[in-house]
Amino acid sequence: MKIKLKPLHYAIATLALAAFLPFFITNDYYMMLLNRVLINIIVVLGLNFITGLTGQMNLGTAGIFALGAYSSALFTKYTNLSPWLGLVTAIIMGVLIGRGLGYPSLRVKGVYLSLTTIGFGEVVRLLIANTPKLTGGTQGVRNIRPYHIGSYQFQTQKEMYYLFLVFTAIAFFCAWRIACSKWGRIFKSLRDNAEAVEMSGVDIASCKIKAFTVASIFGTVAGAMYAHYMGYINPSTFNLDLSTNYVIMLMVGGLGSVTGTIFGSAVVTILPEMLRFLGNYYQIVFCSIILLGAIFFPDGWVSAVTVLFKKVYQRAAKGHYAEGGE
Amino acid sequence: MGTILQLLISGIAMGFIYALVAIEYTLIWNSTGLLNFSHDKIITVGAYIFAATFIVKMNMNKPLAIVLTFMLMGILGAVIASGIFNPLRHMRSNIFAVMGTMMLGRILAEAIRLIFGPVPFTIDNWLSGTIRIGTLMVTKANVIICVVAILVVIALQLFMNFTKVGKAMRCVAQNKKAAALMGINVAQNICITTAISAIICSVIGMLIIPLFNISTTMAASIGLKGFSAGVIGGFGYLPGAILGGLFIGVVENLAVAVLPAVYKDIVSFVLLIIFLLVRPSGFLGKKA
Repeated sequence: MKIKLKPLHYAIATLALAAFLPFFITNDYYMMLLNRVLINIIVVLGLNFITGLTGQMNLGTAGIFALGAYSSALFTKYTNLSPWLGLVTAIIMGVLIGRGLGYPSLRVKGVYLSLTTIGFGEVVRLLIANTPKLTGGTQGVRNIRPYHIGSYQFQTQKEMYYLFLVFTAIAFFCAWRIACSKWGRIFKSLRDNAEAVEMSGVDIASCKIKAFTVASIFGTVAGAMYAHYMGYINPSTFNLDLSTNYVIMLMVGGLGSVTGTIFGSAVVTILPEMLRFLGNYYQIVFCSIILLGAIFFPDGWVSAVTVLFKKVYQRAAKGHYAEGGE
Repeated sequence: MGTILQLLISGIAMGFIYALVAIEYTLIWNSTGLLNFSHDKIITVGAYIFAATFIVKMNMNKPLAIVLTFMLMGILGAVIASGIFNPLRHMRSNIFAVMGTMMLGRILAEAIRLIFGPVPFTIDNWLSGTIRIGTLMVTKANVIICVVAILVVIALQLFMNFTKVGKAMRCVAQNKKAAALMGINVAQNICITTAISAIICSVIGMLIIPLFNISTTMAASIGLKGFSAGVIGGFGYLPGAILGGLFIGVVENLAVAVLPAVYKDIVSFVLLIIFLLVRPSGFLGKKA
């Protein structure tokens, strides 16, 4: 009997693999990197809806991320309630940002939108840095409580890892189902031909806002996770470089590909650390690799490899066929 | 009244800087259709080549250093155009172009850090001193910024209107296919445009040395505010870029009189967002 592999099987296999990963890693620093990868996956899954599927350039992800982190951190700090309620605050914040950011995207396109979102990110960062009474200003927020279930606190890197793995799995499942749903198809068609979508009787405006809202919710949730994971946040983290990094992750994984986001986040988070042996030169080498990637494999590195494999496979198959013919 | 006038003058000087930034990237936008997100790093490279290499290390006299910097930056611009802008121009999504230019910016910043070291510095006797007009004290730097910016604008206009290369640049900006049919080498023309843009970048770099220290992030904020200036004046339109730059510079400086000083940096971005929502074509732009 031939067993057909379905996406669900792949997903379960990947999850099992991810669950066993901590047994092979003893170094706490590598565990921290893995946790960062999981957080980044969630952000990029969200960004994929705006930039990947809908094709709207968003360079304000750091702003979304920052608002998520700060709303959850400040909520738990001032009310002394559970971080889980902070997560709810972050989601509400995400809905608000999505509505707010989605609205300009109806009016402006292309470069204008990237400039608007850059403006949004900068305004958020500068406002946070310049209202010290509320946010702690450039000093940041300290001693943010970690997540807990009952009296059990998630404190070590490994405990955090399993918690975040659950978060990421849920987020991935949601993103995957949304991308396959009616919404996902509309998002994709908005990127390809907005006029045709409108002709088919779809309300473009509400769909674009939906894309932004979903993306912002993913971003703010990841921000909240980041805040409670690090225990300390400060506004200088959430700069334009961070927003750029998220778009790079998306690009490396392949625009519009949900599974590619995992690969992209992992590569862009881990590769710079792997290049540390280059000493002073690691950052410049990393940037050059990404720049060459943007020029030569615009569909993402995964697709570049699959295209290569297909070519090799086809050549092999052709050879086989020719032999069979004789 | 005195402080308001003082703020106005420094606002106009900053405005001219923003206007130059807007002109510099509008040139590239018009000729390639790419938004050059690495422009603040090119400005920084210009300042470093001038100050670190020629003035501090080689102890050259300043006019010679300026000329040599212009030549080096022109070559750098042409290299960037042929190596990066020309391939990116043909990409199917502008996302790759944006990321490509951003990566270029990071590479330039890293290169600066590796070559010149991370420590900020400044040079002596460069655009320093003050001039007294009546009761007003004006720094020499502000006056020179205004004069140089006006000269650059006039020179650019003359170049674009009265030379063959400049006319070809305008053709390429309008319609690349038609320009190519008329026998203009589009790729080469883009190299020239980028070289000119890089030279204007180095002018900006030299002018802002007295305002900021020379460091890898010296141009980050004026780079982003330059984008606001371009949009507010009318994107892709050179007179609009100048008007937008002056508008932002003046409003931002006068805002200090009303708002707490810490909010100064936010003004330009808030203006940018308001303009994009209310009038995306800017002051002088055609209706989109």
